[in-house]
Amino acid sequence: MTALWDTSGTAVIKALSAERRAAGSVSSGLALTLVAVVDEKLVTEAEQAATAAAAQHPCRLLVVVRRRPDAPEPRLDAEVSVGGRLGPGEAVVMRMYGRLALHAESVVLPLLAPDAPVVTWWFGEPPHLIAHDPLGVIADRRITDAAAAEDPAAAQRTRANDYAPGDTDLAWTRTTLWRSLCASAYDSLSGDPHGAKVTGEASNPSRALLAGWLERRLGVHVAVEDSEGPGVTGVELKIGDDTVTVARKDGRTATLSRTGQPDRAMPLPRRELGDLLAEELRRLDADEIYAESLETVTGLHGLSARAPKRTHVWQDPMDASDPDPALTTS
Amino acid sequence: MSSPRHLVSSNPLRDPRDRRLPRVPGPCALVVFGVTGDLARKKLIPAVYDLANRGLLPPGFVLLGFARRDWGDGEFESIAHEAAKAGARTGWRDEVWQRIAAATKFLPGSFDDDQAFDRLAQMLKDLDATHGTGGNAAFYLSIPPAAFPTVLKQMERTGMADNEQTQSWRRVVVEKPFGHDLASAIELNSLVDHVFTADDVFRIDHYLGKETVQNLLALRFANEMFEPIWNSHHIDSVQITMAEDVGIGSRAGFYEGTGAARDVLQNHLLQLLALTAMDEPVTFDAAALRAEKIKVLEAVCLPKDLSAYAVRGQYDQGWLAGSRVKSYLAEENVKPGSTTETFAAVRLDVDTRRWAGVPFYLRTGKRLPRRVTEIGIVFKKAPHLPFARDDTSELGANQLVVRVQPDEGVTLRFGSKVPGTTMEVRDVAMDFLYGEAFTENSPEAYERLLLDVLLGDAALFPRNEEVEASWRIIDPIEELWRQQESQGGGPELYRAGEWGPRGADEMLARDGRAWRRP
Repeated sequence: MTALWDTSGTAVIKALSAERRAAGSVSSGLALTLVAVVDEKLVTEAEQAATAAAAQHPCRLLVVVRRRPDAPEPRLDAEVSVGGRLGPGEAVVMRMYGRLALHAESVVLPLLAPDAPVVTWWFGEPPHLIAHDPLGVIADRRITDAAAAEDPAAAQRTRANDYAPGDTDLAWTRTTLWRSLCASAYDSLSGDPHGAKVTGEASNPSRALLAGWLERRLGVHVAVEDSEGPGVTGVELKIGDDTVTVARKDGRTATLSRTGQPDRAMPLPRRELGDLLAEELRRLDADEIYAESLETVTGLHGLSARAPKRTHVWQDPMDASDPDPALTTS
Repeated sequence: MSSPRHLVSSNPLRDPRDRRLPRVPGPCALVVFGVTGDLARKKLIPAVYDLANRGLLPPGFVLLGFARRDWGDGEFESIAHEAAKAGARTGWRDEVWQRIAAATKFLPGSFDDDQAFDRLAQMLKDLDATHGTGGNAAFYLSIPPAAFPTVLKQMERTGMADNEQTQSWRRVVVEKPFGHDLASAIELNSLVDHVFTADDVFRIDHYLGKETVQNLLALRFANEMFEPIWNSHHIDSVQITMAEDVGIGSRAGFYEGTGAARDVLQNHLLQLLALTAMDEPVTFDAAALRAEKIKVLEAVCLPKDLSAYAVRGQYDQGWLAGSRVKSYLAEENVKPGSTTETFAAVRLDVDTRRWAGVPFYLRTGKRLPRRVTEIGIVFKKAPHLPFARDDTSELGANQLVVRVQPDEGVTLRFGSKVPGTTMEVRDVAMDFLYGEAFTENSPEAYERLLLDVLLGDAALFPRNEEVEASWRIIDPIEELWRQQESQGGGPELYRAGEWGPRGADEMLARDGRAWRRP
């Protein structure tokens, strides 16, 4: 591991290649670069999650922490490690102070793995307009998390308004196990769907997406009901003469019930952040099913038809009346 | 998919664009015969747990053990629990096991016990009502080949193998050996294909479940740069090696009289040869893949002078990895003077336009220096070298090596200039390590194959025609060795811990080549 204080982007590049050489082998299976834009207080948690995800997908991990954009002097501190505490791959943790925080891409661009896809993940509040953050503009895929926002429903609407193909949200990732269970349950049924219901915490954005998905796929109205949680707690499907319910009260195990059949318990855990991130890194193309579900939730149309590439929109948080939070963190 | 209820297209919740949703099989029971055996405990039960942990087992799944033990469901469950915990690849979660435990059944009985099989047939019907299995069942025969006919006939008698009679799907999984020569393979195949239908018979060759073997197909057919040179114009020879550092351990009972050629060459190595040499399949479904593999296996021919190109060896005592190991003849339960081979190397040719004149060298052995399986493609030398002769004296042939295990990956060897003022060219290796960061995610072969059985996807399973075509290649070799034996010739001894007998090196030297050191 190399720690660099008050350094330059060029020195970071040199340190990275020195670390790679010292590690003995030039990393060859590099499939992507993961850029994590993280709030200072969340750095440890983000590192753990990214390390877990990197263990499944060979990637170069670049952690960017923007600090005190109002600081008088720009400064860069960096920690470079290969096969160290941040997993088997290459990792650089960078703290950027002052005006440099607004030009993070000047350090990040030369560090991207050559010709490999770039995934940017905001852990902390994401920009209202991804175009405001150059680290989002350079990415092929962008990961946000509406569940982390103070008002998840508003955050979801913001994401839909700003959506471009290649955007994804961890609230959607959290529905995968539920969706898989619903699809398997449906496999053993016959007849037309004529009703569905999703239960969960009122503010839970995954509940909204799950209901949106069911409504879109089944073509029936999906009722939404509040519960104490945690997260999504139940799904009910009425197909033909059968009613299938999946209920999860403890956040770990679901009970699957079907008319005329004994109940069955299925593991349905709330997954760790690293696990969610790993699922996101598995696919690097636009997720149309997510776009469709988000359309149903928000009533917007044509999300998939939008241009996948954004153009950077300059915003100086010092001058702006409504500064984008991603640029002003800690 | 033989079950009409599992038609993917009729389920609006499934969409081919939705690749987050895993392929989850329909409801079914997995019936394991010989559930007390080594394979069931070390591979099968852990694979069931790992599948469940990854959310790949359907809600209506039941694990049913059948063996001659005086057990109840609970005793079997606790033994399975131990086996799963010891062998699981993914992290342990009690709630996952609780779910399997609730759907674990045990049925005591011996294979010739009619009543036990009647109970089994009834139980499979009842499981639909109690566990919602839809009556579907996959039978995993983890039993000695000698017991096959008895069990299969019991299944036929009770009608439990019949898709129509049971109005559900019924599949069977068999492990190698698939017979011990062509005649016995045909007999076994016709029995199992008759009791079930040929489409419902899954022969497990666990090598084909390995990610790297599937990656060989991706490497060849998803890329532009390899396929154009994948022929006799550019390839000099192909070497396929499967080496093990272990001896036969306590498996003398099986190994004696079987030997390396039947144990490994007939199935694993010939399957690897087929995948390396085959033409591009029209699609990647089971029928298209099989068609191409069979074309290759049928085009394989043995050298005219077979005795010079079929070498067999047996390990002598020696030192391996720092310990002293005993000779094959000194292993437990090996007959004195046994002529069973623990090493086999052969040259095969593929009589097609693509492969004319390209020898395929196959070798396998026990007590070799390390455990490794690889496919080495050796290219021809460049037709003209514009360098002075001394400059390229250290330049070998270009090689593309697919490492099947361990360190799954691909290595490309090519010449590169040595830094300095002179023009000196030497071999360097460019490495793609498949396991570098994917390991945690790449499933164990059994996991993949078991899932494919439950899904009814036969792409990675050899069919009867392939097995029979393979025996047609092996039989003349075995025949030759029997002949040599009747004239007093036996396997050549090699020291444990070296790369096989000298005869194997001489075989390649005769062709002006040498084995790669894997």
